[in-house]
Amino acid sequence: MDWSLLFSSYADVFLSPTVLLMTLLGAVGGVLLGAIPGMTATMGVALLIPFSFGMDLIPSVGLLLGIYCGGMYGGSISAILIHAPGTPSAAATLLDGYPMAQHGEAGKALSVAMFSSFCGGVIGALIMTFLSPLVAKVAMKFTSAEMLMLAIFGLSVIISISGKSIAKGLISAFFGMLLCTVGLDPTYSKQRFTFGITSLKGGLSFIPVLIGLFAVAEVIAGVERIVAGKESAQAKSTEKITRVLPDGKTIGQIWPNILSGGIIGTFIGAIPGAGGDIAVFVSYAFNKGASKHPEKWGTGIPNGVAATESANNGCSGGAMIPLLSLGVPGDSVTAILLGAFIMKGIQPGPMMYVSELPTVYKVFAALMLANLAMLLVGCAGVRIFAKIVSLEKRMLYPIILVVSLLGAFSINKNVFDIGICVFFGVIGWLMNKYEFPLSPILLALILGPMCEQNFVRFMDLNHGNFAEILHYPIAVGFFIVAVGVIIFSLLNQRKINRREAEALAQAKAQE
Amino acid sequence: MDLKKTQTKAFSNLIASLVLLAFEVWVWIQSGTIKTAKNAAVQPATFPRIMIIGMGIFTVILLIQSIIKLGSMKPDDPLAARAETLNFIRDKGVRAALITILLCCAYVYFFKSLGYVIVSFLLSGIIMWMIGLRKPVPLILISALVPLGMWLIFYKLLKVNIPMGPLQFLRDLVDKI
Repeated sequence: MDWSLLFSSYADVFLSPTVLLMTLLGAVGGVLLGAIPGMTATMGVALLIPFSFGMDLIPSVGLLLGIYCGGMYGGSISAILIHAPGTPSAAATLLDGYPMAQHGEAGKALSVAMFSSFCGGVIGALIMTFLSPLVAKVAMKFTSAEMLMLAIFGLSVIISISGKSIAKGLISAFFGMLLCTVGLDPTYSKQRFTFGITSLKGGLSFIPVLIGLFAVAEVIAGVERIVAGKESAQAKSTEKITRVLPDGKTIGQIWPNILSGGIIGTFIGAIPGAGGDIAVFVSYAFNKGASKHPEKWGTGIPNGVAATESANNGCSGGAMIPLLSLGVPGDSVTAILLGAFIMKGIQPGPMMYVSELPTVYKVFAALMLANLAMLLVGCAGVRIFAKIVSLEKRMLYPIILVVSLLGAFSINKNVFDIGICVFFGVIGWLMNKYEFPLSPILLALILGPMCEQNFVRFMDLNHGNFAEILHYPIAVGFFIVAVGVIIFSLLNQRKINRREAEALAQAKAQE
Repeated sequence: MDLKKTQTKAFSNLIASLVLLAFEVWVWIQSGTIKTAKNAAVQPATFPRIMIIGMGIFTVILLIQSIIKLGSMKPDDPLAARAETLNFIRDKGVRAALITILLCCAYVYFFKSLGYVIVSFLLSGIIMWMIGLRKPVPLILISALVPLGMWLIFYKLLKVNIPMGPLQFLRDLVDKI
């Protein structure tokens, strides 16, 4: 590694007022866009790419990376405050973030999310700087067999996010996988469960389903609770935010989650086709399994927020690895970035490390800067964002509803998607009422298409002989890890149930 | 089965598993209508059917768990707690939730003809009133300004064209400015 070139490239980026300004603007836009349910970082990058046409490469990359990193954190704001993940990568943040906000710790949850997102991004950027050629080599060995087993490995964490009843969690997961099969079959284009509705041919749009299951369901449940007198219509949070960053005690408590989340996020992000939405659930399950008190996860602890937020922004560095070293985008945002590079006459790939090494290092620096900009914007905004929960519930719920329904519409500009959003809002409300967990559906919706496409491709290539998978060592490795995760999660769930029973007995004895 | 048991979470799980089983049978029948592909190692209906079988296995497990629980349930068992109800005649909370759902359905129906701002104004205004906000000024202001603000953000900044219905003139006005 050419250290002097690395340092001079970092200095060039960090001392350039244009790059600083563009990255900061990108981070502001990304945080705001990410916070709106339905608007993803990908959409933000796609929207702003025309503005970068006239700029030099590094300021435009800074702008786009600013949106990317800002969007990753921005998604957590609405997940924590209103139970509506702004982006799919923030879907696991609400597992602990929303309960924290409900306990009057919205500000703390936001600051933990922001700090963890920043640290995860820095871990991703550092791994990208020092290990990108090596990681890319491993990631590119992935064929349909490895991708199938990666999807199964991702699904193995379902037990960890199933809550009290594993049977209900798995029913939710299979239901989610079944929903993925609605529309044209991806290989042979045969219609499945479309019932003659043209809008269903393209399948169920993920974002409207996500918004429906979480935001609309929460509004319906909230209206029910307020009218039934089970919830006060007054604001819950009276928390006074004295600091925008987590205190030393909290950082001491969450740093292992941040570190592991950042590493998991980077490696999953480096695999083309796998992104932050998968990494957050894997990181959550891993950290919950490794915790001494797994029973506290999901009740509103900062560790849960840290584990997921560091993983989703770790992905931003991870996704850049195959882009720069192989010319293969790791996710949809880096696919747009690839276009930006080509527009500027630079072809990412192995030769970029030979012919364009200063540019490679400047991109590393721009990612680091984007994370710093995200932290800065986040710090400035924590107090303002946290004010949202101090609104009266009778004002907040209707606002969430109309904003969420517009978010569902904006994805495809299709009224049918609002209908899908409302339909899944009702499904989510019923599932919550009868204690069927919603997160497994989400994970299944993310992994289902990946699972089916690679399963069909693998079976076609191997003439229907599934046993051929034994000839793929990485795939077998993933399968063994998945089985291990399932066994570990089952044992962990037993531990959780036992501790909860003990706590209940203790409480009764005290009465 | 005595009345108390029919009000427990264990009983609601039993009913839920029966409803789910009926749903799975229906989806299985529907999967029979999916056309087959020639020379395919995996047919288009195979993957959905694997999912239905998986869902069915765990539904049966839930059903058996519920039956066993109902037979030997202690009063302090978490599943012996009172289950949530869907009785909208007796429960005013459920009634409000159902009204919200119906309002959302009407919202979808009128979205194109009345436009986002008007349907959102009506939806949020009615819900606010229903959950106890009776002060007309904040009710009208919030119901009108939030959709207007959102429309402006989406239309001007994010370039998303949203139906405006009779308020189409606002778009022309904004375009002129």
